[in-house]
Amino acid sequence: MPFIEIKGVSYVYPLREGVSLKAVKNLTLSIEAGEFVALTGMNGSGKSTLAKLLNGLFKPTEGEILIDGISTADEERIFDIRRRVGMVFQNPDNQTVATLIEDDVAFGPENLGLPRDEIIKRVDFALQAVGMSEYRKRDAAKLSGGQKQRVAIAGVLAMRPDVLILDEATSMLDPAGREEVMGVVRKLVDQGITVINITHNMEEAALAKRVVVLRKGRLAIDGTPSQVFSSSLLESCGLTLPPAAALAKELKDSGIDIGTVTTEESFAEGICKLLK
Amino acid sequence: MQAVEIKNLSFVYSKGTPNEKLALDNIDLSIEEGSFVALIGATGSGKSTLIQHLNGLIKPQDKKHSSVIVGGKNAADKKTLKTLRFEVGMVFQYPEYQLFADTVEKDVAFGPKNMKLPADEVSRRVKRALETVGLDYNEFAERSPFDLSGGEKRRVAIAGVIAMEPKILVLDEPVAGLDPAGRAELLALIKKLQKEVSPTVILVSHNMDDVAALADRVVALKDGRIVADGAPRDVFSHRAFIMHIGLDLPTAARLVDKLEKKGITLSKRIITMAELKDALLSIFKKRAKKRGNNMGYAQINAVTDGNKNADENVEECDGASPVDEKAKGDESSPVSDEKAEGDGAKDENDSGSAGGGEDV
Ligand SMILES: Nc1ncnc2c1ncn2[C@@H]1O[C@H](COP(=O)(O)OP(=O)(O)OP(=O)(O)O)[C@@H](O)[C@H]1O
Ligand SMILES: Nc1ncnc2c1ncn2[C@@H]1O[C@H](COP(=O)(O)OP(=O)(O)OP(=O)(O)O)[C@@H](O)[C@H]1O
Ligand SMILES: [Mg+2]
Ligand SMILES: [Mg+2]
Repeated sequence: MPFIEIKGVSYVYPLREGVSLKAVKNLTLSIEAGEFVALTGMNGSGKSTLAKLLNGLFKPTEGEILIDGISTADEERIFDIRRRVGMVFQNPDNQTVATLIEDDVAFGPENLGLPRDEIIKRVDFALQAVGMSEYRKRDAAKLSGGQKQRVAIAGVLAMRPDVLILDEATSMLDPAGREEVMGVVRKLVDQGITVINITHNMEEAALAKRVVVLRKGRLAIDGTPSQVFSSSLLESCGLTLPPAAALAKELKDSGIDIGTVTTEESFAEGICKLLK
Repeated sequence: MQAVEIKNLSFVYSKGTPNEKLALDNIDLSIEEGSFVALIGATGSGKSTLIQHLNGLIKPQDKKHSSVIVGGKNAADKKTLKTLRFEVGMVFQYPEYQLFADTVEKDVAFGPKNMKLPADEVSRRVKRALETVGLDYNEFAERSPFDLSGGEKRRVAIAGVIAMEPKILVLDEPVAGLDPAGRAELLALIKKLQKEVSPTVILVSHNMDDVAALADRVVALKDGRIVADGAPRDVFSHRAFIMHIGLDLPTAARLVDKLEKKGITLSKRIITMAELKDALLSIFKKRAKKRGNNMGYAQINAVTDGNKNADENVEECDGASPVDEKAKGDESSPVSDEKAEGDGAKDENDSGSAGGGEDV
């Protein structure tokens, strides 16, 4: 049985008297334990809504979501769901709870009722992983945009969730920070954690094994990065190719075919092969 | 004329507490009207702190020694603050900080209304601004700006700023959170606004491709100090230095380096994908000529494939000829490599690490 099962799920936001908005529409999708999935699509296509459905923050208006067999609508198990599905929100300001950074990161593990030394171990690990150890005694509210994002990621890492959902968690990071965080993600994937990375960065999406694309609340494309990037639906989903792949395509249109390119490395190799 | 003149600006957060942090350290910066300046620097380098001085959100702490003059006005002067904010349109790093009204319509109308524009002009501007950022007026006008998706919020925040038609546009990571199509549209829009409405643009960005494609000047911060200031082409040619300040290269420059490792040498002054494409096409063209094939590149594949065996032992990649003449002689890059060394990064006197960037 897949670890995450989304079965015919819809979600409706009530807007005002008599007006509502269906943000997710009859979505069916399953994700196996240990998968590394990128979730992408136009602004407003339903990605963040889906993320909040997955960790039980929202309940499906229709259909059902099972996490390791537990329904997210099961109020008695909600604590279990939250513990298993950790989420880094799109706006890190929504996420800080304590004043000191280390307390903020410790908040989750403390709520799990873990022993003191285990909490300390986890906080150390998480702060280290995002490169914020030296800031641990600092005020969590008084950070730059990218620093806040790092602390938010650390807070979720310290929970050691089975499923990690990152909602545009790298959007404010500098290139080095982005690489660091993606390095941590890859390590977590190697350890068997299921990762769902919501991103508008196509190079980052290409790092995942599977890319799921939403469009107006529905599933539009689901496949490997190279399948998705060669899909005829790509443009209608508001997406583009990663820069190197886009250039390879332009060169092909000029008669120079360097083959399928998803990474910069494969671009360079393709060019070199042709020139040899 | 100078759109911005910053002298001697330092800024300390939480002075006298354990959180004390020197966020800006003696910044001197003038920005010519009509220029497109990209402000880059690693996380925490001081970019947001610096730009918040431009519309008086943060005031200089040391009034005696520092000054921030924007559009001829002292940004710390309370009397002109209101008009200053009409002239300096600022899009914050997190749009949530910017949104406040209970409907999208009211939010976007706030600026133009405050400027005392006639009601019909206000509503015209609101409609136009929303359409410009890709939000359907009828669909979004009555929505609450807080109940929108991340990218939609950002679009509303941007609409609110462009509806004021400010002379100076200050954008802190404006495309973060936009989908790829929206991002491309917004970048094109910024370029267009610069031509038609807001001649001076200051863009804070971690995306070096955007910086390379848009800016005519790059100012790099590290630990609150300006460590490089020059044309993007010059600044990005200092490879080791860019790494040293915790940044990355534009994709095109990174590809140039990757190709070089494989023995294909292209100009280090290539920074955009368009330039890289031209350079590669010209290599392939030359190659085709050398082989006595004048049929154009459409034939190149066939030719290379056919010659596969013959080529196997030839280390052709090394010979693959060098430089893209066009990028070198390009109008927009008048500086020779020699001069760029001194020019691209700021003078050594100013900061220990610049100038000799390559050695760091
Ligand atoms: N709190 C809310 N109340 C009402 N409608 C909402 C709310 N949050 C989101 N929506 C609407 O639901 C739809 C899906 O929003 P969602 O935030 O899931 O999109 P997204 O794919 O995450 O977009 P983005 O890339 O911009 O973050 C959008 O049309 C949005 O306007
Ligand atoms: N309110 C505050 N109180 C104390 N320190 C702060 C505050 N805001 C920012 N800082 C610190 O000042 C420094 C500069 O922050 P700033 O927000 O200007 O950086 P930035 O270059 O915009 O970074 P980013 O790319 O992450 O947005 C950082 O080290 C940050 O931790
Ligand atoms: Mg979202
Ligand atoms: Mg910032």
